[in-house]
Amino acid sequence: MTTPTHMVELRDVSMQFEEKKVLDGFSLNVEPQERLVIMGQTGSGKSTILRLILGTLRPNSGSIFFKRFEITRLQRRKLQAVRQHMGMVYQYSALLSSRNVRDNVALPLEELTDKSRAEIDKIVDEKLDLVGMKDSKDLLPEELSGGMRKRVALARALVLEPELILLDEPSAGLDPVIASVIDELIISLSETAKVTSVTVTHEMDSAFRIGTRMAMLYQGKIIEEAEPEKFKQSKNPVVAQFLSGSTEGPILEGSLDAITKK
Amino acid sequence: MISQAAVTRLASLKRGPIVAALLHAAFQDVRDAKLPGDLRQVFRRAFVMLAGLASMTVGFIDLASYIDRPVDESDAETRCPLPRAGLRPAELSSFPHRQVRPRFPAMTDANPPVLIAQGIGHLARTFLREVGSVFWFIMNTFEEAFERIQHGRVPFRATSFFRHTERAGVDSVPLAGLVSFFLGLTMALLTGYQLQRFGTERLIPGLVAIGFTRELGPLLTGIMLAARIGAAYTAELGTMQVSEEVEAIEAMGIGPLRFLVAPRMLALVLLMPCLSTVSNIAAIFASSLVCKAYFSIAFPYFLDLVKDSLLIRDIITGILKSFLFGLLISAIACYRGLTVKGGAAGVGTSTTSSVVTAITAVIGFDTLYNVVYTTFYPT
Repeated sequence: MTTPTHMVELRDVSMQFEEKKVLDGFSLNVEPQERLVIMGQTGSGKSTILRLILGTLRPNSGSIFFKRFEITRLQRRKLQAVRQHMGMVYQYSALLSSRNVRDNVALPLEELTDKSRAEIDKIVDEKLDLVGMKDSKDLLPEELSGGMRKRVALARALVLEPELILLDEPSAGLDPVIASVIDELIISLSETAKVTSVTVTHEMDSAFRIGTRMAMLYQGKIIEEAEPEKFKQSKNPVVAQFLSGSTEGPILEGSLDAITKK
Repeated sequence: MISQAAVTRLASLKRGPIVAALLHAAFQDVRDAKLPGDLRQVFRRAFVMLAGLASMTVGFIDLASYIDRPVDESDAETRCPLPRAGLRPAELSSFPHRQVRPRFPAMTDANPPVLIAQGIGHLARTFLREVGSVFWFIMNTFEEAFERIQHGRVPFRATSFFRHTERAGVDSVPLAGLVSFFLGLTMALLTGYQLQRFGTERLIPGLVAIGFTRELGPLLTGIMLAARIGAAYTAELGTMQVSEEVEAIEAMGIGPLRFLVAPRMLALVLLMPCLSTVSNIAAIFASSLVCKAYFSIAFPYFLDLVKDSLLIRDIITGILKSFLFGLLISAIACYRGLTVKGGAAGVGTSTTSSVVTAITAVIGFDTLYNVVYTTFYPT
C-alpha cells in the first residue's frame, strides 16, 4: 500500500495515444498544501497528467494515487465520489453553455449534495464573490469574456470545497492584469483554505508567481523538479532553454534546422 | 481436409481466433490441393462464401465476448466496453479491454477471395461492435440511473425531464399530425379508387385504421422523430463533447450518462407512443374526410367500420413498437453525440450518421418486430 502522506502520487505512468508516446515512465508526487506548477512545451502531455489524476483518462501502465485511493483501479461509483474532492479548471473553462453563471456554479451542489436551494444560493454567492463575479450571476457563458469564464470555472471548481484543485493553463490567453488576479486567487486559496493545487502552464510569469515547487516535463518525463529559485538557476539545458525562450538548445533540435532552411 | 498440424494449432487458440485459424487452414488446404481447374474454381467460390459466413461468426463471437466479460483480472472493474463518456475515441486504446479483444490474424497472402472475405468480416465486425456499443450504452445509462435511485436520490431533475418532453413531444405534435393527416388523405384516396371498382369502398376505414395503428403510425413517427429530435440530441451532446463540457461534468463526479442521457432517453421513450397515437388519429380523421367527400361514407358509419375492423391487439402492437423505437432513436442519437470526434466537422458527420442509423434501425427493427409478431400471433 501507499504512504498516505502524498496528496497525489503518480508512479511510473506511461500513456500512449495510438502511436504517440506522451508519458513514458512518468513519476511525480504532490504534497499536501503545496502549489505545484508543471511546465512543458505545448503538446508535451501536461493536460494529460491532470486528466490522469482525475481519472477521465486511464494510463497504459503505472498507477496513480489520490491520498489512499488508487485512481487507476477504482470502480466508477467510487471514482465519482473521489472526484468530488478535486476541482478542475479547464483551459477553455468548459462551462455548460445552456446554463447561466449561477446554475453553472450551482450544478455540483444541486447534483451531488442534499442542500436546500437557499443554502446552495448562499454558497454560490460566496464563491462568486470570491472570484469577483457576483454581478454576472444571470449571464450566459457566451456573454462573458475569456477571463470572466475562467473565474466562473474556478468558482465552480471550488464549490464543493475540494482538497485539490487542478488548473489547466489558468492564465493563457488573458491580459496580464486578469492573469495576475487569477494567480493571486490561487495563492490566497491555498493560504486561507489550505487547498493543494496543481497548475499546468507555460507562462513563465504566472508559473513563478504561483508555484511553491516547479517541475519540468520533457519527452514524457520530469527532468527537473525544484523550488522556484533553484529552478531558475537550473543547469539542465532543456530547462535553461525553456526559461530563456531561446531557439538554441536541445528543444526543437532537428526541427529547427528544417525551419531555418525554408 | 484439415491437416493434423492445423488441428493442433487450433487447440491452442481460444474463442474468436478459432474461426480465423480454421479459415486459414482451410485456405491452405484448398491452395495446396492439385485439383482440376474447374473443380478448383468451385472450391474457391465455396470458400469465399464459407469465409464470409465464418468471419461473420467471428463478429458474433466478438459480440458475445463483449457480453461474457470480464476479460482479465485488472479489467474486472471497467465493465463497459464503451468509452467512458468523457473520452475521445483516440484515447480508447488506453482501455485495457480494448486491447485484449480477439484479433483477426492478418492474412498476408494477398489473394482476392481472402481479401473479399476479410472485407466482409471487417464490415460485420464493425457493425456488430457498434450494435454491442449501443447495447452497453443503454445498459450503462440504466445502471447509472438506478444506482442513484438506490441511494435515494433522483437520477435527474424533473425540470430537465419536462424540458425534454416538451421539446421532443409537445413541439413535435404539429409535425406528426400534419404529415400523418396528409398521408391518411392520400392513402384513403388511392385505395378508395381501386376498391371502388369492386364496390368495396367500405373497406377503406379499416384499411387506414389497421395500417396506421399497427404499422405506419409508429414507423412514420419514428422516422420523423429520428430526424427532428435524434439530430438535435446528437448535435447538442456532440457540441458539449467537443467543448469539453461532458468531460467537465464527469470531472465534477457527476455521471454524464444519467445526467445528460437518461432524461433524454426517458422523454423520448414515454413520448413516442403518445405521438404515434396523435399520428394514428390524424390519419384516421383525414381518411374519414375523404370517405365522406368521395365515397359517401357518413361519419357515424365510418366510425362503426373502424371499430369493427380494429382489434385491441393491433393497438397494443403499435404502442409497444413505439416504446422500442423511442428507446432506439434516443440511444443511437445520444451515443453518436457522446462519441463525436474532430470538432465542428465531427459534429456534422455524427449528426448525419445518427439520423441515418436511427432511421435504418427503426425500419429494420420494425421488420424484425413484424416477423417475430406474425410468427407468434399469425392472423
